[in-house]
Parts: sequence; structure tokens; C-alpha cells
Amino acid sequence: MAASPDPRKNQLLAALPAVEWARWLPALEAVSMPLGHVLYESGMAMSHVYFPTTSIVSLLYVMEDGASAEIAVVGNEGIVGVSLFMGGESTPSRSVVQSAGQGFRLPGALLKEEFNRSGPVLHLLLRYTQALITQMAQTAVCNRHHSLDQQLCRWLLLSLDRLEAPDLVMTQELIANMLGVRREGVTEAAANLQRAGLIRYRRGHITVLDRSGLEQRTCECYGVVKKEYERLLPVRTAR
Amino acid sequence: MLCTVPATLNRLIEQLPRRDRSALLAASQTVPLVLGAVLWQPDAAVRHVYFPDEGFISLVTAIPGEPGLEVGMVGREGMLGVHLALGARIAPLLALVQGAGSARRIGAGAFRRTLVSSQALQAQLHRYACVLMAQLATGAACTRFHQVGPRLARWLLMSHDRAEAAQFRLTHEFMAYMLGVRRAGVTRAAGDLQRHGLIRYHRGEMSVLDRAGLEAAACGCYAADRTAYERVLGRARAP
Repeated sequence: MAASPDPRKNQLLAALPAVEWARWLPALEAVSMPLGHVLYESGMAMSHVYFPTTSIVSLLYVMEDGASAEIAVVGNEGIVGVSLFMGGESTPSRSVVQSAGQGFRLPGALLKEEFNRSGPVLHLLLRYTQALITQMAQTAVCNRHHSLDQQLCRWLLLSLDRLEAPDLVMTQELIANMLGVRREGVTEAAANLQRAGLIRYRRGHITVLDRSGLEQRTCECYGVVKKEYERLLPVRTAR
Repeated sequence: MLCTVPATLNRLIEQLPRRDRSALLAASQTVPLVLGAVLWQPDAAVRHVYFPDEGFISLVTAIPGEPGLEVGMVGREGMLGVHLALGARIAPLLALVQGAGSARRIGAGAFRRTLVSSQALQAQLHRYACVLMAQLATGAACTRFHQVGPRLARWLLMSHDRAEAAQFRLTHEFMAYMLGVRRAGVTRAAGDLQRHGLIRYHRGEMSVLDRAGLEAAACGCYAADRTAYERVLGRARAP
């Protein structure tokens, strides 16, 4: 068994003042989040919100014909279930675990109550929501204008920022679903990055070898989103 | 429904309880929305927020050296400046008037003060942020998967809803910019819609001739956005 999971690995939970932290702690429930696990289907009412600690969750918009595209990722910097406290009630996207790990969940009713106290929790969650909005807007424009190579770099960097080690367990099929492209496209883009010595890809494992190389190759969308998160959210640990 | 209420007051304001509504109106002044005016530059501190009464504003994600992409549209159903209500001072978006009209404008400081004293306004804007997120999500997937024809039809319907008039001014360059495609693609798609008798486009004047036909030509994203809006904000009406 691994050491018991630490909720403070999630940066929103870590930023809670002592009073709120003491109130939340008994209600926080550790959950393991296996790869591909669906936390929410779009349109579903949400009973809990999730705080990833070592996992990454992908928010996907699913079209009528079943095709999907990633609109944002949420890791240890964030919370899954923003529409619950913002009053949207159900989620417009599907939430899928894209990198296996741990997280914590909290009953939605409790979070709503905390949000409505209009204290530090409200401000923290609102700022996170704004950061998420920026990520969504940037993802839309990236989808339109940037090459698959660049998008894959962005996607890898966003994932890397949310993980403790430079390794991702990931199938090309999953990446293709996230990016909303065909699998062959992902294979080709991954091969390009591998040839350039930026990543190593083997049997569902991606290891990032050259982070600054990825940063040079990606589009500015990565930087825009990162800057916005840094501006709006509690200080991140430097990497 | 958007079309049945006379186009006099912004819908978010209209739905507020009387006292909150009066406070907001007292803090605001009516200003014209001039076609093509840039209300915000990306990353500049926001001096005013806008609640359109008539006309509409595009939220554009701009990328240096490349055409931008419209990621959201704000008309009488919405507001420009929701990020202030979320605690951010600047947003990485360009705001561009795309349909002439008028708006209630409020200085950023006065807006924050009004917001602090109105729970109803806070809740209303949080819900509106959900609608905006739903629009971003649809948009991200739509630009990824849908052809320019259905996207143009969707975009014309969104403009038509917000213009609340059968005619509005548009250029091909502008449509191309909004949809993030080349001009030739838009010209061809508009030609198709015109040949099918759905629109008339003459000297920059766009007329919607057959709304039902246009709805049939649009991708499902148009209906998805409308449903999201009505689910979250459609019911609430002030006494």
C-alpha cells in the first residue's frame, strides 16, 4: 500500500484557510481514479465535486454523433464540478480520468453551502472558474488554428504540469479522443516528437525527455493558459 | 424566448429583483455600441463592463500573427465582463462590437461595489458564467468537427437572435475572421445558403429570409447553446 493520500496535494484544498479546512476535512473522501473512469456524463446532475491530487481529469464535449473533443484538463490545481456551485446544476461536458491516480471528493451540497457563505472559498472557486474559462477559450482557438504537433505538445505540457513524474500512461486512442482527431494523426505527431528527441513513446507510456523542447515547439496557447492560472490561483510549486 | 420581449432592456438586468435592478441601472449609463468598435484589448485592465440592450459583441481569442477566432457572443441575453464578477481584473480576450446597438455601461469599480451588495446579481452572473462555459465547450468542439457551411449557419442564427432584426451588416472578411477560416470558404458557404433561399447577402447587408431553413442547415451546436441558456437562465423572471 502506498502512503495514505494527502488532500493538500490539491492546490485548492491546500489554499483553504484553517477554519474551512477543519470543516471540510471530515467530509473529504479519498477516491482512486483509474484511467478512463467517467466521473460524469454530460447532462448528469452532480452529487459530488472532485479534487484531483495525483490524477488528471479531462473535460470533453460530446457531440450528438458521439464525437468528442477535450475542452479543458483539471489536475491538482483544480476542481471538477464547477457548474454545481456556479448554479448550472448539470455539467455540459463528460469528465473522464485521463491519467490514473488519486483524488478527493466532497458532497456537492456541502460545497454549495461553503460557496454561499461568501467567504474565501467563494473567491477561490470563482477565480478558478475564470482560469478554466480561459483554458476553454484557448482550447477552442487552438483546435482551429494550430497543427496537431503543436496541440500534442500543449497537451503533454498541460499534463506534465499536473503530474509528479514526467511519465504518462496513455494510449494513442485516448489521446485521439481528447484531441478530437483520428488515431493515425496522433501516431504521426507522436513519432515526430520522438524523432526530435522530445519524448519516448512505448506501449502506452509516454516519457517526456526534453521539456523545454516541447515548450519551444508548442503554440502560445500553452503559455496563455499557464499565465492565467498563475495570475488567478494560489502559488504553484515551481517545477 | 429572446424574440417575444421588446428589445428595451438587457435580459440579465431585467430578470433581477426590482431593488437590485434599480441599483444596477443607477450605476450605469446608456452608451451606443458602434459597429466595429473594440471595447477591450486582450490583457488590458478592464475599465467598463457592458450589458447590451441591443446589438451584440464578439469575444475573440486573438493569436499574434494569425487570424483570431470568435469564442463567444454577447447580446441582450448576456454581459461583457463576467470575469470581473469572478474576481479577475483582466481577460485575454478581444471584445469587438459586431452588431450596432446600445448597452448599459458601468465602470469597473462601481460594478464591483454593486455586485458586493447584490446577492441576486452575483447568482445571476454565476449562472451566466455557466452559460458562457457551455458556449465555449460547444464552440471548441464545433470548430474541430464541423464544416464551414453549418458553422456559418449557426453563427448567423446566433447573430440574428442577438440583433433582433432580420437584417444586419457584415463583411466576408469579418465572417471569415469570426469563424477562423479563409475568406474564400465563407464566400462559398454564404453563396450556398443564398442559393437555397435561406439568406440574402447584398453589399454587406445580411438578411435572414428563412429562419427555419437556416436552423436546419446549422449544426446541432446552435440548438445545444440555446438549450443550455434556457436551462440555466431561461426560467427565472423577476416579479
